[in-house]
Amino acid sequence: MKYIKLYISEGSKRNVLPEDLRQTEQECLQDNRTRYLQANNKKFNTTFGYPNNAIKTSKYSIFNFLPLNLFEQFQRLANAYFLILLILQLIPQISSLACYTTVIPLIVVLAITAVKDAVDDLKRHQNDNQVNNHTVLVLKNGRMEEEKWMNIQVGDIIKLENNQPVTADILLLCSSEPYSLTYIETAELDGETNLKVKQAVSATSKLEGNLNLLSAFDGKVKCDSPNDKLDKFTGVLTYKGNTYFLDHDKLLLRGCVIRNTDWCYGLVIYTGPDTKLMQNSGKSSFKRTHIDHLMNVLVLWIFLFLGSICFILAIGHSIWEKKKGYYFQNFLPWKEYISSPLVSGIFIFWSYFIIFNTMVPISLYVSVEIIRWGNSCYINWDQKMFYAPKNAPAQARTTTLNEELGQVKYVFSDKTGTLTQNIMIFNKCSINGTLYGAIYDENGQRVEVSEKTEKVNFSYNQLADPEFTFYDKTLVEAVKKGDRWVHLFFLSLSLCHTVIPEEKVEGKLVYQAQSPDEGALVTAARNFGFVFCSRTPKTITVVEMGKTKVYQLLAFLDFNNERKRMSVIVRSPEDQIMLFCKGADTMICELLHPSCTSLIDVTMEHLVDFATEGLRTLAVAYRELDESFFHAWSKKHNEACSSLENREDKISSVCEEIEKDLMLLGATAVEDKLQDGVPQTIKILNKAKIKIWVLTGDKQETAVNIAYACNIFKDEMDELFVLEGRDTETVQQELRSAMKKMKPESLLGSEPINNDFTMRPKMPFRIPEEVPSGNYGLIINGYSLAYALEGNLELELLQTACMCEGVICCRMTPLQKAQVVELVKRYKKVVTLAIGDGANDIGMIKAAHIGVGLSGKEGMQAMLNSDFAFSQFRYLQRLLLVHGRWSYNRMCKFLSYFFYKNFAFTLVHFWYSFYNGFSAQTVYDTWFITFYNLVYTSLPILALSLFDQDVNETWSLHFPELYDPGQHNLYFNKKKFVMCLVHGIYSSFVLFFIPMGTVLNAVRSDGKEMSDYQSFSLIVQTSLLWVVTMQIALETTYWTIINHFFIWGSLGFYFCMLFFLYSDGLCLMVPSVFEFLGVTKNTVSMPQLWLSVVLSVVLCMLPPIGYQFLKPLFWPLHVDKVIDRIHRMKHA
Amino acid sequence: MDRTSQGCPSRWRDNTALKQQHLPAHRLQLSATKVLSGFFVTGTFCLGVGIILILSAKSTKEIEINYTNICANCAELRENTINFDKECTCSIPFYLPETMQGNVYMYYKLHSFYQNLYRYSLSRSNSQLMGQDIMDVGNCDLFGKTPNGTPICPCGAIANSMFNDTIILSYNLNSSIHIKVPMLSSGITWWTDKFIKYQNPNSNHLPSAFAGTAKPPFWPRAVYELDEEDVENNGLVNDDFIVWMRTAAFPTFKKLYRRLRRIQYFTEGLPAGNYSFNITYNFPVTRYHGEKSVVLSTLTWSGGRSLFLGLAYTVTGTVTWLASFVMMAIYLARKERMTVFPQQ
Repeated sequence: MKYIKLYISEGSKRNVLPEDLRQTEQECLQDNRTRYLQANNKKFNTTFGYPNNAIKTSKYSIFNFLPLNLFEQFQRLANAYFLILLILQLIPQISSLACYTTVIPLIVVLAITAVKDAVDDLKRHQNDNQVNNHTVLVLKNGRMEEEKWMNIQVGDIIKLENNQPVTADILLLCSSEPYSLTYIETAELDGETNLKVKQAVSATSKLEGNLNLLSAFDGKVKCDSPNDKLDKFTGVLTYKGNTYFLDHDKLLLRGCVIRNTDWCYGLVIYTGPDTKLMQNSGKSSFKRTHIDHLMNVLVLWIFLFLGSICFILAIGHSIWEKKKGYYFQNFLPWKEYISSPLVSGIFIFWSYFIIFNTMVPISLYVSVEIIRWGNSCYINWDQKMFYAPKNAPAQARTTTLNEELGQVKYVFSDKTGTLTQNIMIFNKCSINGTLYGAIYDENGQRVEVSEKTEKVNFSYNQLADPEFTFYDKTLVEAVKKGDRWVHLFFLSLSLCHTVIPEEKVEGKLVYQAQSPDEGALVTAARNFGFVFCSRTPKTITVVEMGKTKVYQLLAFLDFNNERKRMSVIVRSPEDQIMLFCKGADTMICELLHPSCTSLIDVTMEHLVDFATEGLRTLAVAYRELDESFFHAWSKKHNEACSSLENREDKISSVCEEIEKDLMLLGATAVEDKLQDGVPQTIKILNKAKIKIWVLTGDKQETAVNIAYACNIFKDEMDELFVLEGRDTETVQQELRSAMKKMKPESLLGSEPINNDFTMRPKMPFRIPEEVPSGNYGLIINGYSLAYALEGNLELELLQTACMCEGVICCRMTPLQKAQVVELVKRYKKVVTLAIGDGANDIGMIKAAHIGVGLSGKEGMQAMLNSDFAFSQFRYLQRLLLVHGRWSYNRMCKFLSYFFYKNFAFTLVHFWYSFYNGFSAQTVYDTWFITFYNLVYTSLPILALSLFDQDVNETWSLHFPELYDPGQHNLYFNKKKFVMCLVHGIYSSFVLFFIPMGTVLNAVRSDGKEMSDYQSFSLIVQTSLLWVVTMQIALETTYWTIINHFFIWGSLGFYFCMLFFLYSDGLCLMVPSVFEFLGVTKNTVSMPQLWLSVVLSVVLCMLPPIGYQFLKPLFWPLHVDKVIDRIHRMKHA
Repeated sequence: MDRTSQGCPSRWRDNTALKQQHLPAHRLQLSATKVLSGFFVTGTFCLGVGIILILSAKSTKEIEINYTNICANCAELRENTINFDKECTCSIPFYLPETMQGNVYMYYKLHSFYQNLYRYSLSRSNSQLMGQDIMDVGNCDLFGKTPNGTPICPCGAIANSMFNDTIILSYNLNSSIHIKVPMLSSGITWWTDKFIKYQNPNSNHLPSAFAGTAKPPFWPRAVYELDEEDVENNGLVNDDFIVWMRTAAFPTFKKLYRRLRRIQYFTEGLPAGNYSFNITYNFPVTRYHGEKSVVLSTLTWSGGRSLFLGLAYTVTGTVTWLASFVMMAIYLARKERMTVFPQQ
């Protein structure tokens, strides 16, 4: 406890004695939530056993690859099942199939997966090696020495140079730049490419790269244990008896790159696996599709079906043994362990279990993975989703969700950067009650800005950004006149921000802004004559109307999502202390001095005007502070900053103390243009019956305006409901009255849903789709949503919202966005998609079934957390209506066919067992069983699932109605599965009895044998292969050359294999395995074989064709009509 | 294209038909006309094939005589294994009303004999039958070795249960002249079986080649004494043996026994008249409730007198043909439902 006290007691100047250290080591080890280390003290640091800086992202080594990979693979249910089957087959008493029928497919399936894993892991090994063997300069015995990355230890001091990647998570000690600033780029970490600035603690910056001082540096650091929070770090540095407080501004994270800084020194805090980069990797949550769940259920059904079939056959066997087998013992005596027909039946049950194993298709899961991977590649390759200006292709970051893209019912979209371009243009402002930015002609009429409109000439200002345009001359005149309020307004814009200036070319300022709004505002101030030139941690330099002024930066109160504002406190060259504040208008209004009430009213009017034009608004205010008040506050602020617990809460409450009694300066309005094609895309998605909800942090007016602009709300809507109550009762009333208008009969209390939620069921249930009496829109405010999401109201909310055509949720926090998605996901049981571009959208992107990230202006974090990523909202229609629809159709066709072909294949054994005394005799040659799924029938269906297109992309975009079957899961569901089963049973029936009739009592034209077992097998398997091949040919609607090749190639290959497997040579080599010698030669030339094949094909194909033909005539679906119409149009 | 080729060459080079899903392809659309005409054509085709098959099957002649009960006394004798060495013959006279033109084949037919039982069909040693290793009793299981350990050759349940009745057909010109119809026992097996799959062990002297093995328990003679008339037809390449070893797919089957040697009276086939089968009754069938018959048959291109394919084709053809009309009627009646497309 002594030790901890020592460090926490702030300002303690006591030196730590070695004895103390030894005593406290024990305590440190117990307290594993805190990390302790000392610079240049290897002995102390090694006692904690921190890992070295080597990273290992690879999973396997040469020695453990096989056991580990196999172990992982057998954890999959399907693989484990086949392993159990293999063991069953090795028991001689029940073995009914040679074990290679299972071994070969299993090995192939395992090998494919293993090769894939091995290749992936090899890449990771190479990367690891490359990274671990990078070198970096380390301080050792007073000299800088090169050392490999992997040998870096906690407590080492390393030197990094410009454009070098950061080796580990290090505490910045000093750098070449003034005030020990260090610029870094964090692209690898969060994808953001703008520069960020880090600054060393004042005490260590004095080390100034002096090796002697650095070697003598013995600061101790106490900080958080390793965690994955990129923007959180708290710690304390004790050096020369003083304590200094560390936050994430002083930490350089592994993965960043040093920029614009010649060199810097750092103390290694976290190494290797402890770094925040590594802590963040590999924890992606795994999403599964509806089809995956369905598939698991169906495999279970198949098991049950399999069990009951085996049971029936086992009973049949017992009866047969009793009636016939008993008397046949003369020729075939029972085995000694068979004491009665019943015992025999028990053994036969397992024998049939082995034979019917092919009903659970071994290659199903592998094939599904291949298909999804292929369909993801199409998304990556798609030129029409490639955004040339940014050289940004679409990316399928997850390859397991493709078919779900064809089933989306709800789209949740962010607004800024998603629907809009997030290119901010300073458009209007209101300063001290005067509106600037709107232009009028000579008659005082409002003019719309066009190409011809004359731009304001900024030539008086040497430092103006040439790309900035503004049309209202009155504002320039006001600036030139020296209007005090206008000057203060622009001064505050040029001081209150986090922009970093960069002078890449001499005299050419470039601003690096974290948010485009800020960039737009600072640029505006720059053009009007308040040029923000440079900043240091203590000063901000501004060129004010040509005069350079240096403001001392006293405090900086940062922006966050709760405060929704930021402030700076500066001391002007005139020695005046001023606070400038910029933030959301609602927030600022509450902090204003009562004296500006009248100004507030005028400005509010302007703000409403701005918002209705769809502009983003911010209010600007300032306050003059007197010296003593500020000093008192400053002390409290420092205390809050140095507290270790609840630091952020404390800081924000201190901030509130000074951000009050502000004087309003005015408001800014920044325009954010809609992206290309957004309204059209939304119109098409609406036609496809996809509901679009906009979830935005913006204010209501802005959001509603955008909603109108992009077709989510339409002028012809009957009514817009607004939820803006600030307590539970009001919200409930608002919801009920909306409900009453949309569906008058629903509020009688007799609705089953109302009853349900009073009982609070444990299992989430499904809210049915309801049809409202008209066309409505709903606007939900963030604060009302908080009440609406509480308890019982959430269902009412969902019911109401889902009946509306368009829903806008504004003033949303990131958490609320995720909550809304979760709500719909939980009760509607439909596929949801969330699309956004900012870090505030990550929650909903992760919550939704499918998360789409736009790579936009607000960094890449959304993209890095998404399943699919591209750079324009309009690509969404292509992703869903083209790629999604095709993927869904292909996957459904694949599953239907895959189950069908296995049923048709396997159930033939069932019919045969009635003629072979239920003795577990197979119909086919064991080699056919081995290769059927693996070789003969796998490629045609794979080609279909990779290339099929029922209608081409133009039509699927032209008729969004075609998207409907996916949403209702029409193409593959339990009913379809049962139909596949019935179809399979029918086919197997035909496939058994037609060849049976053909061979029974029949002879060849030369009088020789034809009804022998081997010829019969050959006839059945040839018929089967023709039937399933013709079936796939029927299913294939889009015959590319590859389809032709695979389909006819598979058939051809089958015949080649027949001649090979039944050849003399193989039989002579291994007579006991290749028994079917000569069957091909003797049977393929028989007319009976071909007559039987043709008849089987005809009988198997005609009913499905007839069904396909008649079904739309009797039960016409809307889609059928559309497809029919498309076909007609093509012929016309 | 200039702009893009400068800006992003790597991505635009990927613009292949495969990657953009624009592969040239033929679209398969089953329009109503195609389906209906397809049904109609298929129906007609099947009907035609069916009629041809029925007609050609009808053109063959076949006589089948079930002698299980005709030779009841022999059957009774064979019921008991003790009498295995007692010979029992039985003569079955029959009248052939019409000449059987062309090649005539004689078959034996067994009912309810399960050659397709899984354990039965496995019970053989292929390497032994190929003459590779005469001592290898592989899967033969219970019939692999004699109680004193001598390997059986040919081993296994299949070989052991070989059909061993002798059937001799005689042509009775009148009550006193009985001519034995000349029959060939050669050429009744597949070439691949006779010359590859079944081979005697290499030796000049057959009995010595099989030295050290025992005969199957049910066999009266050793494998090298199967055919007393033709020395070449002995051992594992015996035609009757090979025919038996090709196990049947179903419990009722017929196997080729002899074919007519067309000489003397029989150059045209079997003339009409009185005949009799002289059967040495060895194979016990009543014990497992089975039956056996002997069959004489002529053949055409489509095999023997099996009507199944012909009937199946005819029925399928007729049904398809009718279905095409019914579907057409439904289509015409309900076409409007499909084509009315609500305009939004």
